[in-house]
Amino acid sequence: MDATEAAAVLARARQGDSDAFRALVEQHSRSVFRLAYRMTGNEQDAEDVVQESFLRAYRQLGRFESRANFGTWLYRIVSNCSVDLMRSKQARHDQVRGDSLDEGAQELPAADVPGPERMAQSAEIDRRVRHALQELSPLERAAFTLRHYEGRSIDEISATLGLGTSAAKHSVFRAVKKLRIALAPLRSQES
Amino acid sequence: MTHHFSEDELTLYYYGEGRRRHDVERHLESCAACSTTYREIAGTLAMIAAPEVPERGDQYGLEVWQRIRHKLPERESGLSKFSRFWGFSGFSGFSGFSEFPRFGVAAATALLMIAAFIGGRVWQQRSAAPAVTTATNLENREHPANPANLGSANSANQILLTSVADHLDQSERVLTDIMNAPRGDISAEQRWANDLLDASRLYRQDAVDAGERSVAAILDDLERSLIEIVNSPSKISAADLEQIRRRIDAASLLFKVRVMSDELRKREDAPDRSTPRSSTSTRVTS
Repeated sequence: MDATEAAAVLARARQGDSDAFRALVEQHSRSVFRLAYRMTGNEQDAEDVVQESFLRAYRQLGRFESRANFGTWLYRIVSNCSVDLMRSKQARHDQVRGDSLDEGAQELPAADVPGPERMAQSAEIDRRVRHALQELSPLERAAFTLRHYEGRSIDEISATLGLGTSAAKHSVFRAVKKLRIALAPLRSQES
Repeated sequence: MTHHFSEDELTLYYYGEGRRRHDVERHLESCAACSTTYREIAGTLAMIAAPEVPERGDQYGLEVWQRIRHKLPERESGLSKFSRFWGFSGFSGFSGFSEFPRFGVAAATALLMIAAFIGGRVWQQRSAAPAVTTATNLENREHPANPANLGSANSANQILLTSVADHLDQSERVLTDIMNAPRGDISAEQRWANDLLDASRLYRQDAVDAGERSVAAILDDLERSLIEIVNSPSKISAADLEQIRRRIDAASLLFKVRVMSDELRKREDAPDRSTPRSSTSTRVTS
């Protein structure tokens, strides 16, 4: 779809043409899923975010400024849908589990503490990393994902998540600090 | 004296951001302490590779469309300028999230309450003298000659109102969570409330400045509840939690928040967007 055609489809979608909106869904679904998966780290959650993001986008399409880039606008919606979902999940799960980083680290069963050989395996590192990421707050995780995986600048993170620059920056800093602490055992094994 | 760089500065440096990059670079060459810290940061972050995203086929877009086509909601018709706050932080109720059925119930309850509330108001207006105070009435009474009131809702004001509506929607979720949370740990709700608190203060001040007194009044109530939630112990006792709930109930806060959010959305869609609508900008005078 070239730029002129894309603009025409978008204009029709904004006027309520559901076929045009369908074209947008088909065009953007895979990239939306990719971002949602990186944000949530979970396939089912990512699918929920995909659906909710398109529903939200459809509802708010009248507000979209035609001069803006639809992909960027959708990207922001997906990011914020992911944060909202993670917050809702965390609110429920925190009822039954400690949410501090230290407690989180202790949650790993003693039997699972890997030996040096196993520690070297990337699967184990992935598992630890996933666990450490789960312990971040939704905002920290979103900011970290945008910075680390998506390569967004602090200013872009700020705009995407609707935060001040300082808040965006500190969300990334807090995430990095927590990850450093959580992954320190792996680093000491490495060194 | 040697100026060391903080972890935060080194993190920014790792990501290619931050000012004084050249200074950091030179310093790292000569400072063992900072160099060690930087290596730790870089080593940790290097471990965190992008997760492998499960593959989605060419037909995935079509599958998504099939899943959502019957759920497409009524479109919001707002044409006002885009604020970075709306849409991104706006809350749509997560109707698609099957994990949270209680929000569907909450949304249905809110709709019923709003319908009953508006129905009651129409009845009151038809059958008796106005028993409610509207924002317009209030403003006109207090500042009858203020020309700003005649066109008080300029475009900036509209942006404010829409942002506030989104903010109220999010706040409603926190309050709903608190109202439904089992006793125990409310730290997640506290973090969420804390995130909203600063915004709430700013919106309240903006609402006061814009002459949106009823909005400011509800934000004021909301702020007090958010502060109470934030300052409560995370491991809250059943009695303390009940006390917070009673205060929320006593102030009819959830109800007010829902109604006001709905009112603001209606004002956003109103043909004449420049004036607060007396029929909708109700001040809840409980």
